[in-house]
This record gives sequence, C-alpha cells and structure tokens, in this order.
Amino acid sequence: MIQVTKSLTRTLALVGKELLEVVRRPGAMISLVLGPFLILAVFGLGYGGGRVALRTVVVVPPDAALPTDPAAYEAFQARGLRVTEVSANEVVARQRLANGAVDIVVVVPHDARASLEAGEQADLRILMNLTDPVMANYAGFLADTLAAEVNRELYRRAAEEGRGYAISVGGRALENIPPEVIASPVRAAPENIAPTRPAILPFFGLAALALVLQHMAVSLVALSVVRERRSGAMDLFRIAPVRATELVVGKVLAYGLLGALVAGISAFLLVGVLGVPMLGSPGLVAAVVGLLLLASLGLGLLISVISDSERQAVQLSLLVLLASMFFSGFVLRIAEFTTPVQVGANLLPVTHGIGLLQDLLLRGTIVQGWQVAALAVIAGVLLVTSWGLLRREMRPA
Amino acid sequence: MPAGTILGIIGPSGSGKTTTIRMLMGSLAPSDGTVRVLGEEPTRFHRDTREQIGYMPQAFVLYPDLTAGENVDFVASLYGLLLLRRWRRTREVLELLDLWDVRKRRAGALSGGMQRRLELACTLVHDPRLLILDEPTAGIDPLLRRTVWDELHRLRDTGVTALVTTQYVTEAEECDLVALISEGRLIGFASPVDLRRDAFGGDIVEVTTTGTFDAAVLGTTSSVRRIRQTGLRDFRAIVDDAAVALPELVDAVGEAGAEVASALEARPSFEEVFTELVEADRRRRDGEPEQATAAAAPSVPLGRPPGADEDPDESEAVA
Repeated sequence: MIQVTKSLTRTLALVGKELLEVVRRPGAMISLVLGPFLILAVFGLGYGGGRVALRTVVVVPPDAALPTDPAAYEAFQARGLRVTEVSANEVVARQRLANGAVDIVVVVPHDARASLEAGEQADLRILMNLTDPVMANYAGFLADTLAAEVNRELYRRAAEEGRGYAISVGGRALENIPPEVIASPVRAAPENIAPTRPAILPFFGLAALALVLQHMAVSLVALSVVRERRSGAMDLFRIAPVRATELVVGKVLAYGLLGALVAGISAFLLVGVLGVPMLGSPGLVAAVVGLLLLASLGLGLLISVISDSERQAVQLSLLVLLASMFFSGFVLRIAEFTTPVQVGANLLPVTHGIGLLQDLLLRGTIVQGWQVAALAVIAGVLLVTSWGLLRREMRPA
Repeated sequence: MPAGTILGIIGPSGSGKTTTIRMLMGSLAPSDGTVRVLGEEPTRFHRDTREQIGYMPQAFVLYPDLTAGENVDFVASLYGLLLLRRWRRTREVLELLDLWDVRKRRAGALSGGMQRRLELACTLVHDPRLLILDEPTAGIDPLLRRTVWDELHRLRDTGVTALVTTQYVTEAEECDLVALISEGRLIGFASPVDLRRDAFGGDIVEVTTTGTFDAAVLGTTSSVRRIRQTGLRDFRAIVDDAAVALPELVDAVGEAGAEVASALEARPSFEEVFTELVEADRRRRDGEPEQATAAAAPSVPLGRPPGADEDPDESEAVA
C-alpha cells in the first residue's frame, strides 16, 4: 500500500512538472498549436476550391467556317478554358505559349469534315507548356473533354441531317427526338448522398486538427525525454526510485491532458466558429481523440528513446509530420498510393485519426470500424515498445 | 567507509572521480572488483536502498522553468514523500540552505551559487543516510564553498555519511578520509593527517640556524628519518613525531656548534601532498627507486580504511 502511494506520488509529480513546464513557456505551445490553424485558416479563406480557367488561344485555319471573336467561345469557359485570343497563325500562338503568355493552344483541324469523309480521325491538337504534372494531367483531361464536346457537336449536326432524311422517308417516330438527344442519349446526373457537404475549410480543418494533435504529442513528449536525458535528469530518475512505468504514465498523462485541452478548444473553434457539422456523438469523438493522442504519445516516446540528441528528435518529429502530410489522406487520397505505401500510411496514427474524425463529425457514424482497432493496436504497440526500451535504459549497468 | 564520516575523492579533472561515482550509483559496472553501497551491489539496488541515498550530480539537472520550491518539491515527490512531509522538508531544506526567500523564483533565474545550493537542497530533502555529491563546490565562490562544507560537517555530525568528489585539493582538509586519485588510480587513501605523513614519510620540521650549517651532521639523530638541506642556513627534517623530535633537533644543532634561529613543525599544503603522492606513484610505476617519500603508496585497500579495522564494531561500513 505504501509503495502504491509512493508510486502515485511520483507519477503525479511527473505530471505536474510536465504541465508546469509547458505553462511556463506558453509561446512554444501557442506556436505549435495555433501555427497550423492559422495556416489552415489562410488556406481556407484564400483557396476558392475550384480551378482557374486556363488562358487559351484557339488557332482557326483561315478557310474554316469558325468564329474569330474570342467571345464566341465563351462556352469553353465552362470546360475550364478561357479563350483570350483567336488566331490564324499557329507559329505566333506557339510563341506565346513558349513565352508563358498563355497556358493552352487549341489548334482546330484544317478540314475535319474532309478527314471524316475520308474515314480518318481529325486531330484537335491541344498544345501546352506545363511542368507541373498535376496541371499537365488536368490539361489533358480538358483536352479529352473538349474533343468529346466537339465530337458531340458533330454527332448533333449529323443527327439533325439524318433526322430530316429519316422523316422524309417515313420515320415519323424520330420527329419528336431532338438531335442532341440522338447525339448524347445518356447524360451524367451526379447525386451526392453524403449527409453534409462541408466547404474546404471545415473539411480540411478536421484533418488539420488530427495532424496538429499528433504533431504536438510527438514533438512535446520526444523533446521532453531527450532534454531530460541530456541534462542528466534521467540519471536522477534512475538513481531515485523512479520506474520506467511511472515515467511513461507521467508523461502520457501530462501530455494527454494537454492534448485533450487543445483538442477541446480546437473542436469548439471548428464547430462553433468555422461551422463544421458535429453529427456524431461527442463521446465517440472524445474517445477517438484519446486514442489518437495515446498512439501519438507512444510514437513520441519511441522517437525520444531512439534519439540521442534534441536535434535528432526534432528531425524525426518533422519527418513524421512530413510523412503524415503526404500519406495520411490529408492532401492525397490513400487509395491513390500503391499497396506497400498504403500499408505504411496505415501505420501512422493520424491516418486513422483523420478518417475517424471526418466520419464521426461529417457523417455521424464510423464507416471504417477497423480504424478504431488499428489506432488502439498502434497505441498499444508503440507505448509498450517505448516503455520496454526506456526500462532497459533506466536499468542499472 | 565508516558511517558518519565524510570521504573526499580528490583528484584533478579527468582523474576518474565521476566514473567512480557512477559505479557507486550503479550507472556503470566495474570492469574489475566489486562495489558495495549500503550492503548492496549498486547494480542491484533495492528501492528502499535507493531512497536512503542522496545524489547530487556534477551538472545542474533541475528544471529552470520551475521555481526553487517546485524543484525541491518535485525531487521530494520522486522519493515518495507524501504531501505534508514534503511541505515540511521542502521548507526545512530551503531555510537550511538560505533559499527560502527565493523559493518562488525560477531556478533558471538563480545565480550559479544558488543553483548549486538548490541542488544540494534537492539532495537532502528526503533525509538520506548516505550522500553522494559529485563536485558540490565546483564553480562556486569561496564563501559559498565554506557554507557547503559547514553544512556537510553539520550533516556528518548528525550521522549522515557523505562521499564527496572535488578537484580542489585543499578541500581534503574538510574530509575525515581522503582518497586521492590520479589517472584512474588510487594513489593515497587515509585521513588528511595520515595522508600528509604518508606523503613525506613522517612529520616535517623546518629549521633555520643563525649561521651557515651543514645538516648532514644530524643524520645520526634517533628521531630523524631524513634530512634535506634547503638553504645555507635552512634544512627540513622528516621525523617520526614532530613534538618529540623538535627539542632533540635543537639540542643536536647546538651540539654541532650552531644556533637555532627557528624550528617549526611544517604543514605542507595538500597541493604539495598531492604532488608528492603523484610523483611517488609515477616513480613506482616507472620502476624508479623511492626518493624523498616513504609511505606514499596506499597501504589500505578501499574497503578497509585506516582505523576501520581497529574497532570495526564502532562504525558501519556504508561504502
């Protein structure tokens, strides 16, 4: 009983010490937590959510019966192209493309009808000058859409001509079918059945919250242990009757409480100020945040045990942050990665934190139940491994 | 090491003092031999045993963002002191080390001397039986050093055993027992008085005559072990017992036809003692014949200090 009381005293002392140290240096905490939120706010307020139409020059052959006024191509705007100029000179247009004055040059085929009648496909050439692979993909997609649009127009014209002939020979049933329906008998009618459709900021806000919580927990706990090792306090712990269990529990409780406080304030800001819907149970949200914090603290402890300097701990924490930005689903969907990378992504606590928080708040339920188990397993494995390594470190020679 | 004594491990920087401390604390295993502290091998300390030891590391390891009071309270908690006792002991040690008035000041804002005292307060807060202090007086001013030693003497008088390392050779005088180490070797282990005698082979008497005098003529005097001429009118005699030898020397000089101007028992400084012992150790290792010194080599192994075997029941060996 006495030993239990003493152990509790030691653990609570460690908790109190950690919290006091953080409270006494609020600047570091504020920049750690508020920094990412401010960046997110700028991103959310500054990002329109759509792509800017590409500046386009349409090169129309002189003998083509197409308009030469850019305003006539206003329909292209809906396809992501803003026609700023219509030119008859492809060389000049290419030069403007090379200079960066325009993004896209659309070269209309010289005689599409003749090619068609000759049984050949006419090339609607789309020229671009882009090094950004994402933009290049996007431009390629626009080119395909444009080609489809032109094809559809050709079908429509052909259907119109064909319909007149069909009606004249007795096909009265076609009389009520417009040529565009004949050209495009099926059209897409998208419908989003998600219970909410949050704007960019609230959607990424939840992911940012998970990322901030993980980064805060990893950085603070890793630096705390490494600093104590460097200052010699770890020797003091080793010599005083402090056990690795008490040290781990003390750190986890202290930074867990701190993380919970940050999560609470952030959740209030997200729901109350930024208007993020809160469809799920607050209890479940708290449980997910708790699991995320536990797993992140385990990761931080592991980093602290394997780092021999503060610099190394900081570098490893930043690497975890970088990996989390790329692979957690924060920016890119995890499904877009290869299987081995997906496996690695699922080892990051934040991957499950983002998925579960977005599900709970935006859908009201946990869609991927296995993520809860995964987060719990990650937390357990990391904490037990860190405890084991710390215990070995604190053991006498 | 007998209980209730202060053992000073003295040696220059890099001589192995901290390594010794680390072995005593169980952070390092000895490459040879055995270490026992409070009856246990340090690498297998029980929790109860650890709670009886107060350790003060060489570097400042406390938390600069916590106040002086919070630091002491934290360390007291690490040793499992419950709330009321913790408050009482925190106040006691802070008052004892004259830090009570700055208890609410952050440790990082304290002067170097105050920080050292704060560390000492943290070391004492759980009432340890054995203190292991790694250079507690390093980097602090002479007045504060005096305070630290006074406090250690007071603790020693209450039965606390203290093992203290220091690179200040002169601090050997403050210890009950002194272990002089150099380059990882124990080159002297005795009480300060005995160590001084060991270094020079006996008491030292310095004699000055009124006129020129050749001290070699005194070689036959029974109480004199060795004579060294240090000037035309000065010589130094190594004797068994200065009190007995002084009148004999004065008589012998008179019988030799000279007159003694002064004859005093000399107390060589511990720098001289240390230098003498280091030189003797070097010569011994190099296989050179013994010269000026007689019993420089430690004659008593670490576990049995001088006096300890005279009446082993009177004191408990703690280290």
